[in-house]
Amino acid sequence: MNKHLIFYVMFIPSMVLFFWGMWFRIRLYLQGTIEGAENATPWRKLTILTDRSWQRFWKRPGWYIKILITDVIFHKRLFGQSFYRWLAHTLLVFGFIATFIVDMIKGFTTGYLVELSHSIPFFSFAHVFETGAIRPYLDFFLEFFSFLILIGCILAIVRRFFIRPQQLKTEEEDIVTLLFILYLELSGFFIEGYRIAHAEVVANRVYMANFTPPSANNWISFFGYFLSLFLKDITINPHFLWYAHVIPSLVWFVYIPHSKLLHIFTSSVTVIADRAKEKPHK
Amino acid sequence: MDLTKLSPKQLLEIDACTRCGDCLRICPVYTQKTEEGINPRGKIQAMKKFIRGQYGLWARIFGKKSLSESELEKFSEMVYRCTLCGECGTQCPVSIDSRNLWLAFKEVLVDQGHYPKQLKLMMGNILKDHNISGHDNDQRTDWLEAMEDFPADRYQKERADVVYFIGCVSAYYPMAYKIPQSFVKILERAGIDFTLLGGAEWCCGFPLLVGGFRKEAQALFQHNIETVKQKGAHTVIFSCPSCYHTWLEDYQTDLKLFDSTQFILSLIREGKVRFDEKKIRVTYHDPCDLGRASGVYEAPRDILRSMPGVEFVELPNHRERCKCCGGGGLLEMIEPELAASLAKEKIKEIQATGADLLITSCQQCLRNIQSTARKMKIRLKTASIAEFVLTHMEENGVKAEGKEIPFIPGSFIS
Repeated sequence: MNKHLIFYVMFIPSMVLFFWGMWFRIRLYLQGTIEGAENATPWRKLTILTDRSWQRFWKRPGWYIKILITDVIFHKRLFGQSFYRWLAHTLLVFGFIATFIVDMIKGFTTGYLVELSHSIPFFSFAHVFETGAIRPYLDFFLEFFSFLILIGCILAIVRRFFIRPQQLKTEEEDIVTLLFILYLELSGFFIEGYRIAHAEVVANRVYMANFTPPSANNWISFFGYFLSLFLKDITINPHFLWYAHVIPSLVWFVYIPHSKLLHIFTSSVTVIADRAKEKPHK
Repeated sequence: MDLTKLSPKQLLEIDACTRCGDCLRICPVYTQKTEEGINPRGKIQAMKKFIRGQYGLWARIFGKKSLSESELEKFSEMVYRCTLCGECGTQCPVSIDSRNLWLAFKEVLVDQGHYPKQLKLMMGNILKDHNISGHDNDQRTDWLEAMEDFPADRYQKERADVVYFIGCVSAYYPMAYKIPQSFVKILERAGIDFTLLGGAEWCCGFPLLVGGFRKEAQALFQHNIETVKQKGAHTVIFSCPSCYHTWLEDYQTDLKLFDSTQFILSLIREGKVRFDEKKIRVTYHDPCDLGRASGVYEAPRDILRSMPGVEFVELPNHRERCKCCGGGGLLEMIEPELAASLAKEKIKEIQATGADLLITSCQQCLRNIQSTARKMKIRLKTASIAEFVLTHMEENGVKAEGKEIPFIPGSFIS
């Protein structure tokens, strides 16, 4: 069966569950009281908070974007506290965001614009993202940013399980979160390595991503290529490998709102709110 | 559990805590009592557990988990053993506004009926007598009696531009009398049109807020604002950082609010306060409610730097990193031994600077540090910044109407 179809059959319910989970948490936050709107309904509270945030943002959008980059993505405060932690955290955060952006560009151009170009010739430029000169760069950056996540994850694992700073308290959730990320990264690279090592996988169009010229794999998919050197003589059902990577990836999304990973969103809000807070006069 | 005591942001902050434990290294209470539940991380995780048990996914599917009385009791014990110094918030990598979060937790606990019983007595005093000590509120200016001279109107005018809000501790605790005594003299010598409120000054409400009784504090806010406005004043000055912070944060008034250090600094800049040269090496302790909570770090330092002959040395931990003396958050009332053990750490830090004198701008810090030093039989010189400024003011500068308090070296020895 077409992998695109299978993917979307799994992806859409996963996203529904993800957004439902996020809404579940937001509904909980909306049980809190907003000064001046003590009796407002949750929906009204959401409108008030959204309006306030929106107005504040448009008063100085540049400043908010700067804070988002310096204090949220590149975690300025953590840099001042511990370089090791900062490096691990930044590799993870930046890696995820960059991977997401490149993946979105790749998916949008090769998945939608290329299709549209068949009926609207204007979009034929999108072919350059699928088989043209841009494609190797997209693939390279996907590989590179995913590799950053892997390094960040390993650094975090080493800190939590081997360096073990005194103040760190490891709970089940911490172990699950880190091992989950590690598994997703390793399974992703493994599947890529397997695809490079086994030309028939590309030829049979087993996976969704199969347009990368094999000749360029040694520099585009540098880590996958490295793994492929060890996978030439190993035969595994490629469909199984695909499911073993895609299903946990989607489960991970569903898991976010109910886990420590939620801090991706919540701590972004607390950091921005803190920086935006009116400082008292000296 | 009623979540309306918290704001949406505070509920979100509970989820934002990543349990990194950075707060453990700096929490002054945790350094004394190494119990997980007492540190900021422990408190947030306990609250998270309560919330999830009542409103989480499993609670929605299988029903709410009833709140365990013993767990609530333990949680209360942990939450109320906090000085509200707020250092955890300034160091938190995800910038959780912890000080306000602890205040909200206390409101939840009061709602659940789990709070230290001593607070009931305190609340009774404030609501009945309008001051923390339970004395007649008309005795609010009794500290004047200990001065050599004071005007017949006891500094209480019908109308004035400026109101000096004394605060309960300075008004009723002799150990802190020198603060209002010195500050009225500074204002007088600088020619400021000011008044005291006398018995019409009510507790600012800070002890109630800190105890978790926000609702009960509203009447005090209202009364104090109206009383100040009746005087026709546009400015209120505070020598108590907790009163200042409460007015700044909770009163929602258009009146101009100044901490005494800010006001003294403006007088120095206007040339209304000038100093004689007196050689002395001093250090300064940032009160939590003035520094971290209200952001006033520069004014006291600028005053000290402007005084000829004064050599100012910083404490090893200063400004945002200044260690709490243990006097805040009603800890002295709830567990005096713990408050004293924090003061001991502070005293060690002060001694390490080699300064002749510790200066601070908070009556509660002075009381806690001084009384602990006495118990430890340590000779430590301490002074409020108002007292220090007055004793250094130029003899031939702006003429004093009353007789000034003479500077006697060693008079600060406790």
